[in-house]
Amino acid sequence: MRLTFGDDVEAFRREFLGWLAENRPSEEEMAAEPAVSSAHLPGWARRWTRRMFDAGWLVPGWPPELGGRNAGPVEVLVYLEELTKAGVPRTTNPQGLGIVAPSVLDYGSEEQIRDYAMPVLRGEMAACLGMSEPGAGSDLASLSTRAVLDGDHFVINGQKVWTSGANYADFCFLFCRTDPDASKHKGISVVLVDMATPGLTVRPLAEIIKPEHPDLNEVFLSDVVVPKANLVGQMNNGWAMANGSLAHERGMVWLSGVLGLEEDVDALLAEAPAALSRMEPSERAVVADGLVQSVIDATAARCLGYRGFAKLVRGGSAPEQALMKAFTSEAKQRLTLRAAEMGADRAGDISADPTSRDPWGDTWIERYFRTFGGTISAGSSEIQRNIIAEKVLGLPRT
Amino acid sequence: MDLELSEDESDLRDNVRAVLASICPPAAVRAVYEGKGDRASIWSRMVELSWPALAIPEQHGGLGLGFVEVALVAEELGRAVVPSPFLATVTQFAPAVRELGGGSPLAGEVLGRVAAGEVTGTVALAEDGRWEPTAVHATATATGSADGWVLGGAKDAVLDGAEADEVVVVARAPGSSGRESLGAFLVPRTALAAAPRTVLDPTLPLADLGLDGVVVPADRVLAAPGTPGVAEALDRAGQEATVALATATAGACRAIFEQTVEYAKVREQYGRPIGSFQALKHRMADMFLAVERAASLCYFAALTIAEDDPRRAEAASMAKAAAGECQGLIAKDGLQLHGGIGYTWEHDLHFLLKRAKSGDVLYGNAVHHRARLARMLGLVRGEAVA
Repeated sequence: MRLTFGDDVEAFRREFLGWLAENRPSEEEMAAEPAVSSAHLPGWARRWTRRMFDAGWLVPGWPPELGGRNAGPVEVLVYLEELTKAGVPRTTNPQGLGIVAPSVLDYGSEEQIRDYAMPVLRGEMAACLGMSEPGAGSDLASLSTRAVLDGDHFVINGQKVWTSGANYADFCFLFCRTDPDASKHKGISVVLVDMATPGLTVRPLAEIIKPEHPDLNEVFLSDVVVPKANLVGQMNNGWAMANGSLAHERGMVWLSGVLGLEEDVDALLAEAPAALSRMEPSERAVVADGLVQSVIDATAARCLGYRGFAKLVRGGSAPEQALMKAFTSEAKQRLTLRAAEMGADRAGDISADPTSRDPWGDTWIERYFRTFGGTISAGSSEIQRNIIAEKVLGLPRT
Repeated sequence: MDLELSEDESDLRDNVRAVLASICPPAAVRAVYEGKGDRASIWSRMVELSWPALAIPEQHGGLGLGFVEVALVAEELGRAVVPSPFLATVTQFAPAVRELGGGSPLAGEVLGRVAAGEVTGTVALAEDGRWEPTAVHATATATGSADGWVLGGAKDAVLDGAEADEVVVVARAPGSSGRESLGAFLVPRTALAAAPRTVLDPTLPLADLGLDGVVVPADRVLAAPGTPGVAEALDRAGQEATVALATATAGACRAIFEQTVEYAKVREQYGRPIGSFQALKHRMADMFLAVERAASLCYFAALTIAEDDPRRAEAASMAKAAAGECQGLIAKDGLQLHGGIGYTWEHDLHFLLKRAKSGDVLYGNAVHHRARLARMLGLVRGEAVA
């Protein structure tokens, strides 16, 4: 165990920071055209992705032709940390860069890589991930959107829901049922669907906070015709891809949870002195204890994440990684609620901030409600606990 | 930051665990509870294996390793509920002597004797139920006289207070207050009036110590009252003691957690293992999180001490708070999930439950350390900073 990384990693950090200072998008251009959805590519974001791709900083762990520099996992960790510290988003299309492009690279044809994966990596196209359905949420394998092969094309009918960024995406990485007679995990395939295809309609789902900036959508597919060439990988091999695509996400996804929590703790500690100074000593003590617990949570999340990460880097297994998603999203929920309570003596605390131009710039209580996006999506906290109990602790399935 | 054990560190951990399984099986713990314990033979085996010498500098005959190694041993001591002078001697007494005595010949001699296993020790710190060494309420006094220093007052809840050979006693100049007038003295335990307490966990024995009239000769003074830096030295030594206790507590918690999961896999009701019920699965997932949260903070805190990082005071309190909180959850759900069998004296579970609870209380429980953190973070004001 040691607190610091080696000299080679620190040299890598300096190199990246030097490049970042020269090439980052400015605060002004980001503020002038904020990204309003997780598949929205404002002009600055397109240029920024392209600059990172060309310089080998988009996915540092990949080879140069894919926008990387063959960096090791510790270097990638340092890179992601420094980007977050600098306040620069790595991408405004996280599912596209983090899940869809890597999955197409892993499973797709040469043409699919050329026409779908590479444009995402160059900031030219945005992708969404069509997984959940009204009847298939936590139990994704029950999905019923049907793709029927008819000669050289599929005809697709069905409905997706909670599809982040579908209202801005150029194409969808769509999970659909291609063999209704097989057992539920064995009849699923993935098809790439252009969002402009006739018969495909998107209905944004306004969310409980900032309904004017919906990111979630319903996607309706009615006799949507898609070339057979858009089938990704093998027919009926979609479930392996569902696990594979999420594995891309899992590798480093814990870090965004940790960094997000730390950002919130910093913001909270910056606000705390003024808020606490208005309180009676007894109230101050109660509130301070809550803040301390959030500080401990954030430090623990970092320590836990780093410990699991170090095990993985050494080629071992890291059961504690399974804890990270539920822990960081629930810690964020506790933190935002405490932060809102800290301001409970201010009448204005429950009103939205009308002066904020940032679409994500919420009050603490709004952010609290927004944290449920973290505890519900991508495997709810309850599903996470089932996974931990069965896969990590080895408890018998029901 | 690399928080995973190196090969050497995990070898040490495995080795310590194997040794403790053989010299301190549950029957040895039960013997302590029944008044027939044999701390001496456990300690002599530890001395043979040079465990007391781990973190003593080589110039004093030690192995010159760091606090991470000490913490790894402490974790295993908690896991196996080991009765021994290790915690008091290696994680309280030796750090206090080192930090207070600086490079003095007295400190060097004492550390050499600890490394050789010739002396055990402890620190008399708490008064009136308070763990802050520098609290203005501390009233034990040291008065200068022709023969040396005359002590007065009393100390609370000293670990191994009736067993250790030597005691570091913290006392202040009469009539003084605050952090600037503290001193520390090396006193043979037999010179003190020790009143053993009846404790929850006899593997962590405590005694109250009466100081009145004890005379300390000039050559046994670690730091005379008013010597600059005494409070800071006590803070630093206290951080080692705190993290060692936190880590030992986390170790006991991990053992309870593992035993609970294993029990839930084999105990059947309604024709199936109780571990297949989702209500229990979720509680065990939460126990797992609590254990890993505490253990990770303990390793981080141990590292900040080993590398003398400026975050060590905060990290120590975070580790102790997390270990205390973990203990609360693990004791509650570990005992509950064991059902009636865990509620019996015959089952070994209660040794771990009591060890974990005692580890939470010593050197300040979770509430105490969260309050410390609130002061360190500047969220509230208080008499003691840390």
